[in-house]
Amino acid sequence: MTTELLVSHPSIPFVVGALLMWFVRTVRLRQAVLVAVPLVALMQLSHLPDTAGTFTYLGLALQPLRVDSLSFLFLHVFCIMALIGFVYSLHVLNPGTHGAALLYVAGSLGVTLSGDYVTLFVFWELMAVASTFLIWLQPTRTARDAGLRYFLVHSAGGLALLCGIILRYLETGDLAVVQVVPATAGLADYLIMAGFMLNAAVPPLHAWLADAYPEATITGAVFLCAFTTKTAVYALCRVFPGFDVLAVWGACMALYGVCYAIVENNSRRILSYHIISQVGYMVCGIGIGTDLGVSGACAHAYAHIIYKALLFMGVGCVLEMTGRQKLTELGGLYRSMPWALVFTVIGGISISGFPLTSGFVSKSMVTAAAAEAHCSGILLLLMLASVGTFLSVGIKLPYCIWFREPVEKAPLQTRQAPWNMYLAMAIAGFFCFFIGCSPDWLYRLLPRHAAYHPYTASHVSETLQLLGFTGLGFYLLARKLAPHDTLQLDLDWVYRRAAAVLQHWCRARAQQYDEKLGELYATRGLHHFMGVARRCATYDIERIDRFVDGIAQQVAGCGERIRNFHNGKIQHYIGAAMMLLFLVLGIIVYF
Amino acid sequence: MTPSLLLQGIGYPVLSVLVCLPLAGAGLALFVRSAPAVRWLAVAVTLLTLGASLPLYSSFDRTLPGFQFVEHRAWLPAAQFDYIVGVDGISVVLVLLTTLLMPLCVLCSWREVQERVQEFVVVLLLLEAALIGVFVSLNIVLFYLFWEGMLIPLYLLIALWGGPARNYASVKFFLYTFAGSIFLLFALLMLYVAAGSCSMPELLQQPLSYELQMLVFICCTVAFAVKTPLYPLHTWLPAAHVEAPTAGSVILAGILLKMGGYGFLRFCLGFAPAATREAAPVMMVCALAAILIGGLLALGQQDLKRLVAYSSVAHMGFVVLGIFLLSSRGMQASVLQMINHGISTGALFICIGMLYERTHSRLLADNSALGALMPRFVTLLTLCAFSSFGFPGTNGFIGEFLIIVAAFEKKWILGAGAVPGVLIAAAYMLRALQKIIWADRSPHHHPRETPPRMFSDIGLREVGILLVLVFFIILIGLQPSVVLDLTRASVESLANRVAGAGR
Repeated sequence: MTTELLVSHPSIPFVVGALLMWFVRTVRLRQAVLVAVPLVALMQLSHLPDTAGTFTYLGLALQPLRVDSLSFLFLHVFCIMALIGFVYSLHVLNPGTHGAALLYVAGSLGVTLSGDYVTLFVFWELMAVASTFLIWLQPTRTARDAGLRYFLVHSAGGLALLCGIILRYLETGDLAVVQVVPATAGLADYLIMAGFMLNAAVPPLHAWLADAYPEATITGAVFLCAFTTKTAVYALCRVFPGFDVLAVWGACMALYGVCYAIVENNSRRILSYHIISQVGYMVCGIGIGTDLGVSGACAHAYAHIIYKALLFMGVGCVLEMTGRQKLTELGGLYRSMPWALVFTVIGGISISGFPLTSGFVSKSMVTAAAAEAHCSGILLLLMLASVGTFLSVGIKLPYCIWFREPVEKAPLQTRQAPWNMYLAMAIAGFFCFFIGCSPDWLYRLLPRHAAYHPYTASHVSETLQLLGFTGLGFYLLARKLAPHDTLQLDLDWVYRRAAAVLQHWCRARAQQYDEKLGELYATRGLHHFMGVARRCATYDIERIDRFVDGIAQQVAGCGERIRNFHNGKIQHYIGAAMMLLFLVLGIIVYF
Repeated sequence: MTPSLLLQGIGYPVLSVLVCLPLAGAGLALFVRSAPAVRWLAVAVTLLTLGASLPLYSSFDRTLPGFQFVEHRAWLPAAQFDYIVGVDGISVVLVLLTTLLMPLCVLCSWREVQERVQEFVVVLLLLEAALIGVFVSLNIVLFYLFWEGMLIPLYLLIALWGGPARNYASVKFFLYTFAGSIFLLFALLMLYVAAGSCSMPELLQQPLSYELQMLVFICCTVAFAVKTPLYPLHTWLPAAHVEAPTAGSVILAGILLKMGGYGFLRFCLGFAPAATREAAPVMMVCALAAILIGGLLALGQQDLKRLVAYSSVAHMGFVVLGIFLLSSRGMQASVLQMINHGISTGALFICIGMLYERTHSRLLADNSALGALMPRFVTLLTLCAFSSFGFPGTNGFIGEFLIIVAAFEKKWILGAGAVPGVLIAAAYMLRALQKIIWADRSPHHHPRETPPRMFSDIGLREVGILLVLVFFIILIGLQPSVVLDLTRASVESLANRVAGAGR
């Protein structure tokens, strides 16, 4: 059973690959490993058993491998994404980045496959730690600070998850990852949901995403954008479909992300807020809970991974070549980086949901589910979010980076990006169109069968109208939408301020008191104690010893006096002898 | 009593051999003039004695409470003095301690004693014979003979090879201890007159009247309290220790002080059990005072040897406390503590001797910041110091812990009074260690302007000496039954004897 597990679990090649990164020295061999590992995983996918059985460890029943259509879908897209991501990062020489990315993907796959909460938690934390290194390996000071915040936030989320798991185990004695019915959900379940929501970057637990992703390494951000949030989406899909609170929250989240994205200046930050927005669609779909909703969320996750990675790759290309990611510092790159423009635009239209792209066939499932469930408020929010998405990433982002005249007159230093970056972007772009053109390929993988036909006249015309008027709106409001180099305050202001206050209090106040307390024994106690010890020593020498020596000196003194008695005069001797004789006689007579 | 020899299958009178071998060696050393040869002779004789004493450990019957390896020979039939030697559980461990420490004393004086080496060896071997004789003799006159016989060699040891104030210290030691022994002689004479016999086995079987017991107890207590030493009769010890050479300090601390404890067990508890029961509270209070005040005295010291001397006062306070708890556990623990103290304080004095050979000063101020220069030495010194204050894992912990447990069992306030003593011990030991290994940062320290020093770390001979002691420190610390097994039966019978004695 163990060998079967080791052979069939797709995380194993990734872990082995990470170990190989440590040992293998030649670059070419490392690159070969990087490409081979996701291919091996894809091969394993075709031979996955339904389950590899249950293990007992420390009295807990663990099921590390459990496959059904839901997890298979996510596994599929994760492995493809891993391949794209590794192709994108072939040119990076630091093996640490590769090792961290490999472990990160391994963690993600492990969560997707886990049948019990213990395995899930272990792989969850593996994901958190490995992804932190993807941020820390960027050698800037801001990356170091952002990585620390990222790690702390994820640790807190992991702790909430752990609390929920432990409470659930204590209440039910069951560790299996199964769906929870909204009516019977208790504190334990809500804690687990909170842990999942933090990884899914649901506001108010979302600020870490926009804080950390812009600071990561270029290739690291490509991985980061794909795995953490979508693994959390999978987890929510598995355990909490149908919770109404998720539907409302998801819709608000979609609009929230878009609002911030429109005003942001940093290109990767814009994309990070769009992650929040798109994940909002998924969370909304899960919350609606109907077959269409859940399938829509899954399909959207699939498509989103690929086109978001494509967007990050395009912007990452710009960052790699120019060293800049702020819109205010970029512009006019259409001459020097045309391919990056093409691919980013492909990603942009995918995320906006243009017909013939993957976004069109997947995002609309969620909105259709909302319409079907007669949630008009949610539908309105999602529509607004679509508008904002296209506005921000479909039009504004490419315009500002590639078309607009740069603010500085000096030309930007550019050179051609490595070929593997373009190859990776090409693969992703291909998938965007492929899924868009033949959606049945994706729909076959969906967990719940929902009859949905995206290419209807109404749908196409509605989409084109929406996008067209958004474009018109941008053209008219272009001046107002110009980027400004300002800092946007998000909800993380609250806990960052609180952390600063706490740190000041600890360093200045608590430490001072602690030092005084620690020194108390020396200032108060030790001084007096040593004084007592010294007084004891003095007493010993002055009194006791002097007494003893005094006796000896007295005896010696007596002897001296008696010696001096011998003065040679015989009459003194006779007189003394007589007195002694009388004394002795007197004593004898008396007694 | 009929003369007899209970050889217990060894085949030779082991105890007489143990007493006579060093005597023979001393006699032989009178003819060897060259210094290196006589040193090697000393090593050979002491090692031979050690080897001859090993059968005591292996053939000792741990189940019998009485005396073993008894040799009974006629000596002065007219005065009913017989030559009786034997060991029981209490004395066998002390004999083994003596034979263990003597070769180490010879080895540690290899370079230290350069003048009159022949006389030094003779004195040392005579001392060994007397020390072993004290522990094995079962005739009270023989006991007194060896008791006093050990004073002269030790006096010579301090007076001839000691420090600057050696005259004062040696005379003080001699007169003080001798004055105490006068009381012992008085008690022994009273015992002989009252019981009509000199042999300890016979005396132990005869019950004595309460008044006689009290008199014997008081006189013996004075003698042994001076020897132990018990506060406030302790002031000879710092002077003697400071001025003695290393071998003298080791013998003084390692073996001589144990004679006081042994005397308490054998005479006060053995011959005067009812009086002991009456007087035990007073003795325990004195012991507690010794523990606490001895520790406080050690804390304020700047001279290393004085510090260890006062720590000996504190440790022997633990021993006396354990004895006068009058429980089997307390007495066993005190015998163990005697052995532990012998080993660890002997080791500490040897370490201080090594320091003195290099820095020619015993002051803490002159011996500071040595950690970088002498790492091996400092490691072994730390181990010995840890054993001295009873760090768990070392032998000192077992002894002190068992005594404190026995004290708590008797009365909780006794245990509560003894525990600060352990804390103070840790304080002064660690303070000394800190100043030796690292620089002295106290406000009282004004470092002298001396050029940077280079000392050689300890060599093979010195490491060997310390490793032997460290081995026993760790062995007894982790497996105290090697000592406790030997003492159990005798101590239990003694405790029963004290508990069952009528008023």
